[in-house]
Amino acid sequence: MGPLIVRRLLISLPALVGVLFLCFCLLQVVPNDPALIIAGPDAKAETVAAIREELGLDRPIPVQFIEYIGRVARGDLGRSIISNKQVSEELADTVGPTVELMLGAMLLAVPIGLLLGTLAAVRRGRLIDRVIMAISVAGVSMPVFFIGLILIQYVGYHWDMLPFTGRTGPVWGGGLSSLILPALTLGSVLIGPIARITRTAVLEVLGADFVRTARAKGLRESVVIVDHALRNALIPVVTLIGLQAAFLLGGAVVTETMFSWPGVGRLAVGAIVSSDFPTAQGAIMILAIAFLMINLIVDVLYVYLDPRVQKS
Amino acid sequence: MSANAAAVTPAATVQGGLSKREGVLARLARDRVALVAAILLTAIVLAAIAAPLLAPYDPYFTDLSIAMQPPSAEHWFGADNTGRDILSRILYGTRNTLLMGLAGVLIGGAVGGTMGILAAFYRPLDPYIMRLVDIMLAFPAILIGLAVAAIVGAGLGAVILALVVSTVPDVARVARGSAIGVMGQEFMEAGRAVGVSNRALIWRYLTLNCISTISVFLTLRFGQVILVGSALGFLGMGAQPPTAELGMMAAQGRDFLFMAPHISTIPSLAIFVIVLAANLLGDAVRDVLDPRLQQ
Repeated sequence: MGPLIVRRLLISLPALVGVLFLCFCLLQVVPNDPALIIAGPDAKAETVAAIREELGLDRPIPVQFIEYIGRVARGDLGRSIISNKQVSEELADTVGPTVELMLGAMLLAVPIGLLLGTLAAVRRGRLIDRVIMAISVAGVSMPVFFIGLILIQYVGYHWDMLPFTGRTGPVWGGGLSSLILPALTLGSVLIGPIARITRTAVLEVLGADFVRTARAKGLRESVVIVDHALRNALIPVVTLIGLQAAFLLGGAVVTETMFSWPGVGRLAVGAIVSSDFPTAQGAIMILAIAFLMINLIVDVLYVYLDPRVQKS
Repeated sequence: MSANAAAVTPAATVQGGLSKREGVLARLARDRVALVAAILLTAIVLAAIAAPLLAPYDPYFTDLSIAMQPPSAEHWFGADNTGRDILSRILYGTRNTLLMGLAGVLIGGAVGGTMGILAAFYRPLDPYIMRLVDIMLAFPAILIGLAVAAIVGAGLGAVILALVVSTVPDVARVARGSAIGVMGQEFMEAGRAVGVSNRALIWRYLTLNCISTISVFLTLRFGQVILVGSALGFLGMGAQPPTAELGMMAAQGRDFLFMAPHISTIPSLAIFVIVLAANLLGDAVRDVLDPRLQQ
């Protein structure tokens, strides 16, 4: 297990450098020369040059990039142009809500998806199988914001059942009700794909010899399906959930914007719209690094679930 | 001699491919869901192309006296918050949305396909190309969109660039896998033996034989690309007002959701129908071409 994780980390390294470089580029497009802004409109050329030197702006780009990596490693991401707060502080405030939202979405989507997929596989070819598959195709084709709009309009506004703007606090501090609609919106993206792959995986496993053996032993059908079939079918499902992390992160950006959820995604969108490049750079970096880490965890989990992978 | 060989081998394969494709079309036509999806998608594409002819009103003409009017006989889909006819805007918006999706899939497919095929043909290049692909895979499409929009400014171009960049790595992987399979075929060896140039080997032997796999993958991908593109439009990273684009139209109606829900619901529904048709067709094409997946 150990060497595998190290090898996997080494593979992620170039990707990490890529992420950092993209974020570094974001800071290079600032429309005005920062030295000019600091020096003021009437400053002499020498003053501007001195400031440029002080800020390190006169050095070659590769050197600046390495210095940038150093600053990022120390947690210095610069200051927001709009709020003048440290970008790292802004990120610290928003990461929690985003993680909460994504976990909430997973917690809703994974059990529902597994249940629907297993049900469809066990009742293969029947009406319920067709209905579940139709729902999952529709779910895959639905824009995230459409589901959000419907939930806001009906559950939130007309029926007045749940709050739909902002976050009232952490889940343990009475914030559960404000989490439900955003989590449901984001989770709905996952239910379709999970149900589909679970159905395929369970069908495949149900035809396997060890399932026939289990049945021949006289085990109860529920034990056969849950302990024998579903457990083995989980391998592709876990991979899929990992692959869907990209979708989930993207969906989180949209969901947060819709529900005014104070997460990293909304921070990124707001920063880009208001040309707050340091904040945009920090938010995009955190999201990209989170994505790299999710993929890493999925790969490791994969080996844990299916020890055969390690040997190859 | 060599020219002769080059002409014979790929032509034979292409012919085989064509007759197979006829069978594919016939089988697709028997699948009722696929047939309906294909007809629907064709109708949508035609309606988008003919938007200037079909649109009952000017999509940019504002008439505040009918602002937020719900669907009626004069305005089938109602009017938006500035009194523009939503049906006309949907027709023009579908144009931009389809254009965005097509550009993303076609350009991304061409770049990714080239990368994958080159990686399979020139083995020394393989690790470099695939490492680049790994790095590109590290960015979810929406993030690429946000970053591109931040760097070059929001607009349809930014979204297309993001969709291309996010399509390239996946296509490169599929193309490489398929091309490696073709590289092992005897006619590649034969072509080399009779001295066919590398260029002809790549174009007429490799690419022609990989193109069907790549196009099936791109068909499957089309719906997803449109979803990501409209999500970026919804976030304000895409086409800017007053241009009509379905995702952006849905976002514009958000502020009037409780007074006039049709303003954002109808464009969202339009995206859903396009993506659903594309996904159903893609699934059917894959099922026909890859019988192993048929249940």
